[in-house]
Amino acid sequence: MKQHPNCTDCEQGPDVMNMPVPTELKREWAAIETRRQFLGRSGKVLGWAGLASLLGETAFIGDARGADAKGQPAKQARDGFASPHFAPKAKRAIYLFMSGGPPQIDLLDYKPNLAALYDKDIPASVRGAQQLTGMTSGQARFPIAPSHWAFKQYGNTGTWVSDLLPYTGKMVDDLTIIKSTNTDAINHEPAIMLMNTGNMNAGKPCLGSWLSFGLGSMNDNLPTFMVLQTKVNPKENNQPVSSRLWGSGYLPSQYAGVGLRSSGEPVLYLTDPNGVDREVRRKMLDAVEQINQQTLAELGDPETNARIAQYEMAYRMQMSVPELVDLSKEPQSTWDLYGEDAKEPGSFAYNCLLARRMAERGVRFTQIYKRGWDVHDNVTVTLPTLCAETDRACYALVTDLKRRGLLDDTLVIWAGEFGRTVYSQGGLTPQNYGRDHHPRCFTTWMTGGGARPGVTYGETDEYSYNVVKDPVPVRDFNATVLRCLGFDHNKFTYKFQGLEQKLTGPAPASVVEGLLA
Amino acid sequence: MAAIIANPSTAMLKVSGRPGPTTLAILLAGVLLGSAVGCHHGSTRVAGKHLDFNQDVQPILASRCFACHGPDPEMRKAGLRLDLEEAALRKRPGHPDAIVPGHPDQSELIKRIESTDPHHLMPQSPLGEAKPMTADEIAVLREWVKEGAVYRPHWAFEKPARPAVPAVAQGHDWARTPIDSFILARLNKEGLQPSAEADKATLIRRVTLDLTGLLPTPEEVRAFVKDTSPQAYEHLVDGLLARPTYGEQRTRYWLDYARYSDTYGLHFDNSRDIWPYRDYLIRSFNSNKPFDQFAKEQIAGDLLPAKNLDPLIASGYVRLGLSSNEGGTIPEELRTNISRERTEAFGATFMGLTVGCAVCHDHKFDPTTQKDFYALSAFFNNIEEKPFNDDRPVWTPVVRIPKAQNQEAYDKVLAKRSELETQLRDLRHQERGLVERWLASGQSRPQPVATDKLVLRLRLDEGGGGVLKNSAPNANPASFPIGTSKPEWGETPWLWPDFRMQTSTRAILGQTGDSEWNQPLAAGGWFMLRSAPNFKDNGASGALLSKMDTKQHNRGWDLSVAKGIISVNLVNQSPKEGGGDKKVQAKKPVQSKEPFRYPSPTDLSAKDLAPNKPPVKKEPPKKEAAKPKPPKPATPEPAPDTTPLVAIKVTTVDRLPLDGEWKHIFFTYDGSGKASGVKIFINGAPVATSVESDTLTSSTIRTSAPMQLGWRYPDATPAQETRYQDIRLYGRALSADETRRLPYEDYVAEVTGKPNSQWNEDQWHVVSEFYLHNRDSSFGAVESHIAQLNKQLEKLSEGGDLTQVSWEKPSIAYAHILTRGAYAARAERVEANTPHFLPSVPKGESHNRLALAEWTVSPENPLTARVTVNRMWYELFGTGLVETTEDFGIMGQRPSHPELLDWLAVEFRESGWNIKHMYKLMVMSAAYRQSARSTPVQLAKDPKNLLLSHGPRFRMDAEMLRDIALQSGGLLGRKIGGPSVKPYQPPNVWEQVSYPTSDTVNYVQEHGDALYRRSMYTYWKRMASPPNMDAFDAPMRDVVCTRRQRTDTPLQALVTMNDIQWVEAARSLAERVIQEGGRQPEQRINLMSEILLSRDPSPQTQAILENSFAQMRQHYTADPKAARELIDVGEKKPNGAIPAPELAAWTMVATEMLNLDETVTK
Repeated sequence: MKQHPNCTDCEQGPDVMNMPVPTELKREWAAIETRRQFLGRSGKVLGWAGLASLLGETAFIGDARGADAKGQPAKQARDGFASPHFAPKAKRAIYLFMSGGPPQIDLLDYKPNLAALYDKDIPASVRGAQQLTGMTSGQARFPIAPSHWAFKQYGNTGTWVSDLLPYTGKMVDDLTIIKSTNTDAINHEPAIMLMNTGNMNAGKPCLGSWLSFGLGSMNDNLPTFMVLQTKVNPKENNQPVSSRLWGSGYLPSQYAGVGLRSSGEPVLYLTDPNGVDREVRRKMLDAVEQINQQTLAELGDPETNARIAQYEMAYRMQMSVPELVDLSKEPQSTWDLYGEDAKEPGSFAYNCLLARRMAERGVRFTQIYKRGWDVHDNVTVTLPTLCAETDRACYALVTDLKRRGLLDDTLVIWAGEFGRTVYSQGGLTPQNYGRDHHPRCFTTWMTGGGARPGVTYGETDEYSYNVVKDPVPVRDFNATVLRCLGFDHNKFTYKFQGLEQKLTGPAPASVVEGLLA
Repeated sequence: MAAIIANPSTAMLKVSGRPGPTTLAILLAGVLLGSAVGCHHGSTRVAGKHLDFNQDVQPILASRCFACHGPDPEMRKAGLRLDLEEAALRKRPGHPDAIVPGHPDQSELIKRIESTDPHHLMPQSPLGEAKPMTADEIAVLREWVKEGAVYRPHWAFEKPARPAVPAVAQGHDWARTPIDSFILARLNKEGLQPSAEADKATLIRRVTLDLTGLLPTPEEVRAFVKDTSPQAYEHLVDGLLARPTYGEQRTRYWLDYARYSDTYGLHFDNSRDIWPYRDYLIRSFNSNKPFDQFAKEQIAGDLLPAKNLDPLIASGYVRLGLSSNEGGTIPEELRTNISRERTEAFGATFMGLTVGCAVCHDHKFDPTTQKDFYALSAFFNNIEEKPFNDDRPVWTPVVRIPKAQNQEAYDKVLAKRSELETQLRDLRHQERGLVERWLASGQSRPQPVATDKLVLRLRLDEGGGGVLKNSAPNANPASFPIGTSKPEWGETPWLWPDFRMQTSTRAILGQTGDSEWNQPLAAGGWFMLRSAPNFKDNGASGALLSKMDTKQHNRGWDLSVAKGIISVNLVNQSPKEGGGDKKVQAKKPVQSKEPFRYPSPTDLSAKDLAPNKPPVKKEPPKKEAAKPKPPKPATPEPAPDTTPLVAIKVTTVDRLPLDGEWKHIFFTYDGSGKASGVKIFINGAPVATSVESDTLTSSTIRTSAPMQLGWRYPDATPAQETRYQDIRLYGRALSADETRRLPYEDYVAEVTGKPNSQWNEDQWHVVSEFYLHNRDSSFGAVESHIAQLNKQLEKLSEGGDLTQVSWEKPSIAYAHILTRGAYAARAERVEANTPHFLPSVPKGESHNRLALAEWTVSPENPLTARVTVNRMWYELFGTGLVETTEDFGIMGQRPSHPELLDWLAVEFRESGWNIKHMYKLMVMSAAYRQSARSTPVQLAKDPKNLLLSHGPRFRMDAEMLRDIALQSGGLLGRKIGGPSVKPYQPPNVWEQVSYPTSDTVNYVQEHGDALYRRSMYTYWKRMASPPNMDAFDAPMRDVVCTRRQRTDTPLQALVTMNDIQWVEAARSLAERVIQEGGRQPEQRINLMSEILLSRDPSPQTQAILENSFAQMRQHYTADPKAARELIDVGEKKPNGAIPAPELAAWTMVATEMLNLDETVTK
């Protein structure tokens, strides 16, 4: 069985040459095979950092210059983790990030008994000593707002799903639903950083950076870690998402996520300027390379070599990225599955479709941000819009990956940064209510490589306020995600500031076996 | 000291022990070869004799043992601690001796690391897996024990002494400076030779780039090449150091060290005005301000004597970190994060230590304890500020900088003011002596307030537990239980550590305060009204003290607050919302004053304070981002309550400023049944009131509802999370004199009733402040003089720019140790102090930021000078002598040249912290002036060129690259300083990440000169930093960066090929060479090369470029439309005199040259 030439993480991966990728790409891969041997031979004098994003081998070969930038001995990467620690179930991941905090009570955490408690105060004993946000801490009352929507049972598992998510209902037998996810942060900024980087304060690498650092690239033409922003719907309460959420923190900066943009150039500065066509660019690059080769011969600086490779990769990206976002060859069945929304660049459905295309092309980690879930008020108006934007697309992505045989080794994650309160923020009426941030429980799901399908894990109390069974704190959640991708979170470390830093942070974390296939 | 050269041959001969001599000899030989690289882990040296503990042994112990046997007691196994000599050699009952000096075979440490039994073998991971050491490491530790297991303090914590400059026999003529002798000694030791001096063209390019961030002009290059005098280079260097661009270049680095940015970084990520700080940096570097002064001004400029505003502007450094105004923000959490961030920033930049590791637990490797961290953080926890920023571009403390024409007058007043401040500070400094003298004199002693009819006194100093004690004499009941929801105890001290209601905390005081309309009543106490981002009007509203029955038409009485207006209600009956808050507002506008004090101007206008409006884009209309909806009214409007109002309601006229300060709020009622019988006192003084209702007459106000703190239970909104202290209720109306003494004097009388040996710090503070403000004759006079000067300063600075600064409070700087770093898990309270393992602050000094600043640059401080010269070295040579510029701790890299580092550190300090002197010294060195050409031998022995066998060569930083591109095309503007500018940026970089109402949601590019300013002036938004700089590893400035990464990625090539800025620069360069270079392509290529590379191109390069030009010209001649398009890129119009195809062709040649490895490399 032939592996992807750069995919050293898997003994028994699928034959990439049989994957549904353009033949052009396969030719490129074959070509890298040759160059890889060349690089392997002369690795000592090559600037590996420059080739890292190109070849993604840093973790395995030792990042002579890249790691140096952080002052680590060259062999750190090798010592830290020679390879993934387990045979990974997933080779890539797609993270659907629902920024703002989706209300679990209205979506997947079914609480039928709440209807009878409409407008009753949530017992103080349930709230306990939970520090509330400044937005509701002054309320005189905390009246219970039962979900406005009915729930139905779906699938063989009979999982209860809100009427807002009919498409999600159709795939419950494939999902691992976690009702007991919980976090330490109660406000967006710290919570979203904790979820993405394992720490509430800025400056730490995110999950995607860890994975690109640890797994490297499977692709010669596209970045290892890509981030897609969903176009903002101005009717929703859109909390910001900053680039630090896909930053590389103390990891070398080539492991940061590259944004794929929905309008204008898909990658910043990708497009040649007006008046410069491919032929001119090629000629320009040929001249630059010839002169750089001379410089290399004259000064002997390995960095020059890295720069030569860098320009070649840039040239190839200029072709492969437009190909990636060119949906004209997608068959009708795609549109039948994702819906017409998917034709609109920047829509969530469009981003899901792109995520599938990137998965096919060997992008390791794709993260899609969908903002707007911060429903402090007007839930009955806003939430249906949010669900309509996302429900079908999530289903389409999972189904599409499954049809193409990619779901087995792709982990799909759906999560926000916290949940929302059962009690109403602001006024509660039979027609409407609001929900404040709630850190003690929220619902997330995973599916695909490594996750156990058809499982609902963890339980919350009858108010969906506290976890009563199998809590999954953020660090355990992340430990489990890493496990699916082959890493022992305790061993997957990077030495910085004298410490073996890890995604799950210093507090003890454990893999949640119950979530694993 | 200089004898660092070990003799390899002896090393290999004199060994014995467990591994056979031959094996070990081979082993050691291997280790020795490894040491060529010098300074990283795994390159230790077993020289057979005289191992250097710091260089050779400690790195192994640290990386292999300290995690379980280091400073952190939580993680310590078997009671063994190996980082301290005393602990390591201590007998542990039941354990064999870990180290028996001189006897490796008897030492458990050695047995364990050499063990073959996997259960016995050390080290082990925290999970119990054996992780054996390498043979080299074992050999080193064995040898070290054999040599007597000598410990030495960590190198960086010992004060540097100036080492002797090594006398080097060979190559004496190479060395030009003492630096070179150190470099050469090491090279010789490793069997390497230095390289020859670079040619003059390379040299002038290198040194000009390093000292000014810009390229030398072709004329400068020619002049230098021609100048054959021996001083030519020195003259060049002196000239460069004198240029204003020198200060810009140094500032550019310092902006990273100080985490400068133009937005505050969280949530809205709005703009913040602090660019005058950047101008201060440029001025300081250009005037060669001594580094000690420079550092002190930034750390504590507000506490320094001032002749002008520079020190105060400099203190903006402290406040450059992230800030927030997120709606749900918990102020205590944010405050903790802010002081933590400042501490980590200070640690990285000034101490070169990763103190942040001790936020949650004692540092695992360094001796920094958790207490050290929080004591250090306390220095930054005592600034007059609110933790959240109200989404303002400036939030107090800020200063208004006078306009140029007023500066002289302003500075004169400021200097006077500074003198007076110094007088106050001197008085404070001697306050304890003054207090003692005052009390000893027996004159004007503090008088208590009589406890007659004192029914309730809640001191609220219990500090914990479930019961509030009533300390009134003969109190009945004597205590009140608190419900299940606990309050917060001891977050901040006032008279004593405080008490804060949590959302659900209930302090129910039974029938205390049961009073009839005809009975006199007086109640109140100290309150800190809560202020938080999402509170209505930013401040709490509700009842502070209440005995009112909301179910009986609000019968009863209360003391309540709404939007800073205090009201007293004595009610028989009233409609719902009986407080009638709405009426107050309807009746007359209330005075609202911002709580500013010096240095913040009190005239900050609404415009100054409002968040900048997001600029509207002049683009085709698109969907406007909607404002988040205002919170909906809580409930549908209830039917109007027609209950007639029978009550007394008296309210204050002026709003209390919502400044997060304690206020003593008190009222008295004489039992007359008239509103005129109600008086309200703030901080002991009666305040103007207005009567809202006077209909009570002789109706009853008695109710069986309980008296409560903070609530009119059950369904009225509480006075959110207010802090309370010393709450009292009297069954009589106090006299005006009594109310004056109530807030402070009464307590001071109580404290001074005891001998001062029994006073704690808080009590000393209370008594001293009372003395200074009420008994000291001069203090008050000076204060009022200062107040006059403040008015003058305000007048003189009218219309000036604002910038954020620091302003120290007079209170004690303290912080709490937080268990596992959680903001609410307060453990011990600690006063500001420096880490225990470093020299301490001189005795008798106040522990404030000024003391920290003095300490930082004191001759005793072992770190600052080393850390600073090391960064200078990093800037010039690409790598620090200590590679980890931010970490000089135990896990940081060991210096490649320890003696050189110490020599430089001492030289720096002894030169009077002369910054230019140090840069000059470094660039004058032969080491710096070497050719960058490397040989395979050098690369093999020292791939990172840490030993400097050849000159430095590395890719320039983002800003320099953009600057030289602009400079080469003659586009670069030379204006120095001023607000940040917004040059070209691809669309939708800010828009796609920002909060819709952020004032930085839309990037509106500027035009004209703003496009071509130096990159250090480009507007820096933290949530989306300039993408063309981000691509080249420019940090986000979220946190301090003392060392940029230097990656090579394809995204960089995309920037330099396609960014409008670069394409326009290429075209401008093309125009320039066409106009100035002569007619022949060869001449033009020559000029381009001179401009960018400071030299003629090689014949091959010349040929390649000529050929390329010919191809391009052919292409664009055939496609004039494409030519036109290309030269139209950018806002500067192309030179119409040049035919488009020719200009386009030359533009592409210029692009080629701008993209050369040599061009982007220094």
